[in-house]
Amino acid sequence: MNNPVLNKPITIALAGQPNTGKSTVFNRLTGAKQHVGNWPGKTVEQKSGLFTYNNNKHHVVDLPGTYSLTSNSLEEQIARDFIVNEKPDVVVVMADASQLERTLYLLTEIRLLSVPVVVALNMIDIAEEQGKTIDSVKLESQLGIRVVPMAAAKGRGIDLLLEAVENAAAGGVCTSTEQSVAGNPYYKSIRSIISGKFDGVCSEQWMTVKLIEGDSKAVETVKNTLSAADWKSLKELLDKIENGQLITAGARYSWINDVLSSVVNREGESTAKRRGVKFDRAATHPVVGKMIALLIMVLSFAMAMIIVMPIMGLVQSVIPGLVELVRETFSGSSLWFGSLLADGLIPGLFVAFMMLCYVFGVYIVFGLLEDIGYLSRMAYVFDSSMSKIGLHGKSVMPLLMSFGCNIAGVTGTRVIDSWQQRMVTLVLVSIVPCMALWAVVSFMGTIFFAAAMPLVVLSLLLVMVLHISLTSAVLRKFVVKGETTGLIMELPPYHKPNWRTIWGHVWVQVKAFLKRAFTLIAALSIIVWALSYQQDGNMGNSILASIGRFFDPISSFLGLDWRLFIALLAAIIAKEASLSVIAVLYGLGAGAVSITSLLIPGSGGFEEAALIGTIAQSVSPASALAFIFAFFFSIPCLGTVATIHSETKSLKWTIGASLYYTVTSLVLGGLAYRVGLLIF
Amino acid sequence: MKSLDRLLKGQQGVIAYLTGGRKFLSRITAMGFTPDVMVSVVRNGGRGPIIASLRDTEVALGRGEAAKIMIKGDSCE
Repeated sequence: MNNPVLNKPITIALAGQPNTGKSTVFNRLTGAKQHVGNWPGKTVEQKSGLFTYNNNKHHVVDLPGTYSLTSNSLEEQIARDFIVNEKPDVVVVMADASQLERTLYLLTEIRLLSVPVVVALNMIDIAEEQGKTIDSVKLESQLGIRVVPMAAAKGRGIDLLLEAVENAAAGGVCTSTEQSVAGNPYYKSIRSIISGKFDGVCSEQWMTVKLIEGDSKAVETVKNTLSAADWKSLKELLDKIENGQLITAGARYSWINDVLSSVVNREGESTAKRRGVKFDRAATHPVVGKMIALLIMVLSFAMAMIIVMPIMGLVQSVIPGLVELVRETFSGSSLWFGSLLADGLIPGLFVAFMMLCYVFGVYIVFGLLEDIGYLSRMAYVFDSSMSKIGLHGKSVMPLLMSFGCNIAGVTGTRVIDSWQQRMVTLVLVSIVPCMALWAVVSFMGTIFFAAAMPLVVLSLLLVMVLHISLTSAVLRKFVVKGETTGLIMELPPYHKPNWRTIWGHVWVQVKAFLKRAFTLIAALSIIVWALSYQQDGNMGNSILASIGRFFDPISSFLGLDWRLFIALLAAIIAKEASLSVIAVLYGLGAGAVSITSLLIPGSGGFEEAALIGTIAQSVSPASALAFIFAFFFSIPCLGTVATIHSETKSLKWTIGASLYYTVTSLVLGGLAYRVGLLIF
Repeated sequence: MKSLDRLLKGQQGVIAYLTGGRKFLSRITAMGFTPDVMVSVVRNGGRGPIIASLRDTEVALGRGEAAKIMIKGDSCE
């Protein structure tokens, strides 16, 4: 096997339709050695990884999951360009043995390119479970391409796949010349016109088929390659073809059916053997399905919290000791430096860690729901409701994730395949209140509205729905104009959870969060620490207080004094922090030398009863209502803003969205104040 | 002949033809919807998206999308 030719790393492109187990195979191959980024200049995620097999280095690139290789969507374009331009040594095409007919469709396109191909026939165990027998040896001889039967989730077939990949890389291209579209009456004449012009990966047969299909990019390439006379005669031919797309797709499927007729034996098959048939009947029911979805969401969040709470509690209990230790260490001459660490950096990092816990919990839960195949059912049952605000069912997932943590909601928008829909959803998710926000809302609410609190919460939620609908309408009308494509979504079969794959996804997200949010939050907490640092603990004299007073005209519009306004500002770093900020600014906290030291829960040193008393005396109910509304709809925490930037790669969207949230929250706060004045 | 959104739950038929723009056709054909294939309706509540089953796959389709798929066959003559 130690072929000297193979000493440079072998590049493997992993192609496949969604839900064929592509990421499972990718994770099995690369283990933890993955690199996650974006495709150059695109907002589509790119995963690649390195591994060694038989003393040879291998470089795997995970292509976006696509159903075909047209030039009509960004993902398909990326997958196609990679194979054509980067000329990988081998393309592994995933297929799902339990849905072989449809999942081989991608292969019918890739096999026409001049590139070595190996078929990974995954989920062979599930096909067997359903009573289908697949003769993979026969399939291999029919296709003329190496076929490796696999059950990747169980780790079966990985070694065989690697062996096949090495052989294919060494053996070169062996594309069969038989074409699924060759029977087309125009095939021969079109091919003869472009004959000799395409001998790269983009072969003559690939180009011919793409021309018949009417693929805009292929037409453009050919137009630029041919002489004017040749192009003219080709154009005449192409104009005669009607329904090119239907003809080519039909030809591909009939070729697949021919191949499979002697390969798949369905004698033992029955739908009853499919997993989750009964559950699915309920899960896709218009009424019961929604109830199931909501129940699953509530249980999931509870589960996420059960996983995460002990970790949060542990860290929370260690922090005060750590802070004390740092203070003592620097209690001599460098008092301010000790404070920078103890009151600025450590609390900042603590907040980032708490966010990480939320993000982690939400990702695990949604990763699990997606992996077992449930999420698309949820998208299905909520499609009609979502269409009322101009969105697809798929947008419901990020919106629901957002109730746990807005950061997770923002990254969750990746599941949406249309750019327009994705951007709208991305802005909407931060209007949803995250879990951390409720503590402050219920604290303030119960002081002033006690029994009427459910009414306040109800009105908050009603305003939220209105806010989301209006924002969506405005965005679609003025900002991201364009046609809306309707719902076409595969409902994948249910699977047992594959913890390896789920963990792989979660780990990638956690790493990305660490990189982007930790540095940003740490930097900002030091800045805020510096602005509010007062050795005597009288924060009324700090620069931050002056800033708060400067904004008096705005805060008076909401009926707030500068202290509550600063509490609103503090919410930008972390929603939970606002409460201790209020306590300290109202003179109840003991010994806080800067705002940031209040990011640690319980650090304000105030007694809740005293805080309740003071606030009830010095704040009017109308102002409290204004505060609650402004706080509820305020700009999301910094971690979310940073995530909006990393997801959109656009400063314009990040700043635009942040300004939008700020203005709307102040306006809603102001309105709540006026309404409050009328009521109280 | 009927469009797919008019088929009731449990009914099936063969696709006669598809209408619609380039983007729609490329997505829908890659999902398996091509002329002459047998398709059955798993769920159709009269409003909201439907679920169709074909080529061993279940696909959720918006009503507008399903209306562009024309069906011939016994259960809808």
